[in-house]
Amino acid sequence: MTADIAARRVNIIQGEYKVVTDPNVVLTTILGSCVAACLRDPVAGVGGMNHFLLPGNAQSMTSGGDATRYGVHLMELLINGLLKKGARRDRLEAKIFGGAKTIATFSNVGEQNAAFAMQFLRDEGIRVVGSSTGGEFGRKLEFWPISGRARQYPLTGAETQRTVAAEQKPAAAPRPVESSIEFF
Amino acid sequence: MSLAEKIKVLIVDDQVTSRLLLSDALTQLGFKQITAAGDGEQGMKIMAEQPHHLVISDFNMPKMDGLGLLQAVRTNPTTKKAAFIILTAQGDRALVQKAQALGANNVLAKPFTIEKMKAAIEAVFGALK
Repeated sequence: MTADIAARRVNIIQGEYKVVTDPNVVLTTILGSCVAACLRDPVAGVGGMNHFLLPGNAQSMTSGGDATRYGVHLMELLINGLLKKGARRDRLEAKIFGGAKTIATFSNVGEQNAAFAMQFLRDEGIRVVGSSTGGEFGRKLEFWPISGRARQYPLTGAETQRTVAAEQKPAAAPRPVESSIEFF
Repeated sequence: MSLAEKIKVLIVDDQVTSRLLLSDALTQLGFKQITAAGDGEQGMKIMAEQPHHLVISDFNMPKMDGLGLLQAVRTNPTTKKAAFIILTAQGDRALVQKAQALGANNVLAKPFTIEKMKAAIEAVFGALK
């Protein structure tokens, strides 16, 4: 379709988020056990996506872990970015993708990441209008932030393994944006 | 009674999840008197009615943001002496300088660790235990 050809593709990697108001932009990412939250305000015409992997046990909001705070931080950056571009919190709607089972690590990190995202959105009162999480295979994801259309392609077994292995490499530990504390 | 137990803390953040995490971190540090507000306006209302010793406030909020709240707290005679720590999700130098100029006692960048929160509070109040 012409719309697809004209679209400007913006790829998002782990730990990133993007907010756009241009209807010709399609946000893309590749997910193994990582999760991407796609949020938009249909009225304001603004949307965005983040991409995160929380290491270890992050399913409980009040476990007080650094991992949880990191995930909340990435969600907050995305939401703040949307609000700055005119979105309203009560109009936000979300789609959640990713969180495939990781054969490589014999753990259910993917599942926990997806559960974290769902729990977060529930707690914040943000409507989830679609999701595709879990499963054996990774995903290639495309999201049109203004229309809210999302399309995903399953990765092959080998691609999934490569993606998951790459996701594990950088220790996705909480990274403060800059020197964390400033003493006056 | 430890110092932490004596300090009345008001946390101000528009995200439910952030409020949960903040109050959880404070509880782990030994704080017992914790109140929460969802935006600057609500925070100032609580402060005016019942002053707290320490305000830990997010920057980015609807209605009244963290700097607005800081200004309101500093200009109200009954609340102006409260310690004020501002949280920021974006590492923004200009914001840090503004907060400092308005009389914030410290800045804590998100995502914070419990240790960093402890250090930020102790920089203002001295050792908690």
